[in-house]
Order: sequence, then structure tokens, then C-alpha cells
Amino acid sequence: MVKFLKPGKAVILLQGRYAGRKAVIVRVFEEGTRDRPYGHCLVAGLAKYPKKVIRKDSAKKTAKKSRVKCFLKLVNFTHLMPTRYTLDVDLKDVASGGPDALASSDKKVAAAKSAKARLEERFKTGKNRWFFTKLRF
Amino acid sequence: MAPTKKAKKSTENINNKLQLVMKSGKYTLGYKTVLKTLRSSKGKLIILANNCPPLRKSEIEYYAMLAKISVHHFHGNNVDLGTACGKYYRVCCLSIIDPGDSDIISTTPGTQ
Repeated sequence: MVKFLKPGKAVILLQGRYAGRKAVIVRVFEEGTRDRPYGHCLVAGLAKYPKKVIRKDSAKKTAKKSRVKCFLKLVNFTHLMPTRYTLDVDLKDVASGGPDALASSDKKVAAAKSAKARLEERFKTGKNRWFFTKLRF
Repeated sequence: MAPTKKAKKSTENINNKLQLVMKSGKYTLGYKTVLKTLRSSKGKLIILANNCPPLRKSEIEYYAMLAKISVHHFHGNNVDLGTACGKYYRVCCLSIIDPGDSDIISTTPGTQ
């Protein structure tokens, strides 16, 4: 009886272009909105995972390999698989944009860029390693 | 002899309790609605038939683990579970939202 679809939960997308990608819930719309009368949430996920970095990579190569491409999407709960992992990355400025962060394309790009920066710096610290590895299927 | 007799008695008990829930409580039948109740944490107990496909079984158990809702594995297949619910169709999984007069929640968990 514990709600688990909360901001910070790591989920896997099941449907759509990003099926199989890992994402983190940014904001939850439990009861839905006018345009989406079902429970859904805003997720920020990895469109492109960072590549594997080996010891003999130069600094330039490491920087290039650690890059991450991020996406933001409003996803129905039924199209997510929740996991037991959480990712407490503060995506507050992405979340505060909320529903209108995805309204116009330039706001979307700006939000995706800030999410990308946050996720990249989290990857570089080496924490949440599960989140940044590709799900093999 | 005694252990098997006890097992038989407890399945009968489950059936009786289920009957009471069907009469007086709130429940949903079926995979889609069970997942819905798990997501919103409205379910109190999930019951799965024994011939539930293993992938679906593990998925429901995982959701229940996240939501801290107990799962009961019914001793019978989906046909039997449907009959136990008093329905004329097969039921693979069901979720009890409100047990009504039954004490099924208090006496059955510990099976997760």
C-alpha cells in the first residue's frame, strides 16, 4: 500500500520509440489532465547511453564517450515498468516547467539540455551505475 | 495425513473468504485492472491462479513488492479461481480493494 510511482523513481519505457530505455520520473500527474485524462508522468530518460570508457582512453575521448542524449516525454503509467531503483537527481527546473515545458519546441529543447547536463554530471560521479547501462534484450 | 488435511482445509477457507469478499467487498478481476490497483496502491491483496504465465506472475509480484502489497498464490488454476469468485469465466488474477466483512486480509498475508 505504498505509492511507488514518485519523482526520482527509475523506470523502463515499454512502448514507443524509446521502448527499452531507462528513464527517471520527474513529475507525476496522478489524475491526468484535460488533454490526457489518464494517469501519466513526465520522465527524463536516456536516448543515447554513455559509451564504455576504458583506461587507455585519452581525456578528450573520455569526454566524448561520456556524453548522454536525453529525452523528455509524457508517458502513460501503463507504458512504464517501474524498478526498485531510484535516481535522486534534482531535475527541479525541468519539473517546474511542468506541462508547459513540453509545449513549445524551444522550451522542450532547453529543458532537455538542462536534464542532459544533470544526468551527465551524475554519470561522471560514478553513482547509479545501473541507470546508465543499457538494458540488454 | 494431517498436513494434507490441513492444506485442504485452508483452501476451503480461502474459497469461503473469497465468497464473502465477492458478496460484501470491493475487488477487481483481471490483469489490467490488477496492475492499475497496484500502481495506485489501492489493492490490499492480490490472488494469482497457479497456471498464471510465469512472466505475468513475476511482473505482478514485482509490482506488489514495490507497493508492499501481499500476493497469494491460489491452489487452483484460473478456471477454479473463477469458480471460487462465483463467476462463469476464468480469472487469472484478482485484486481485493476492500475486503468488506471478510477477514481475508488479516489471515492470509505472509505469503509474499
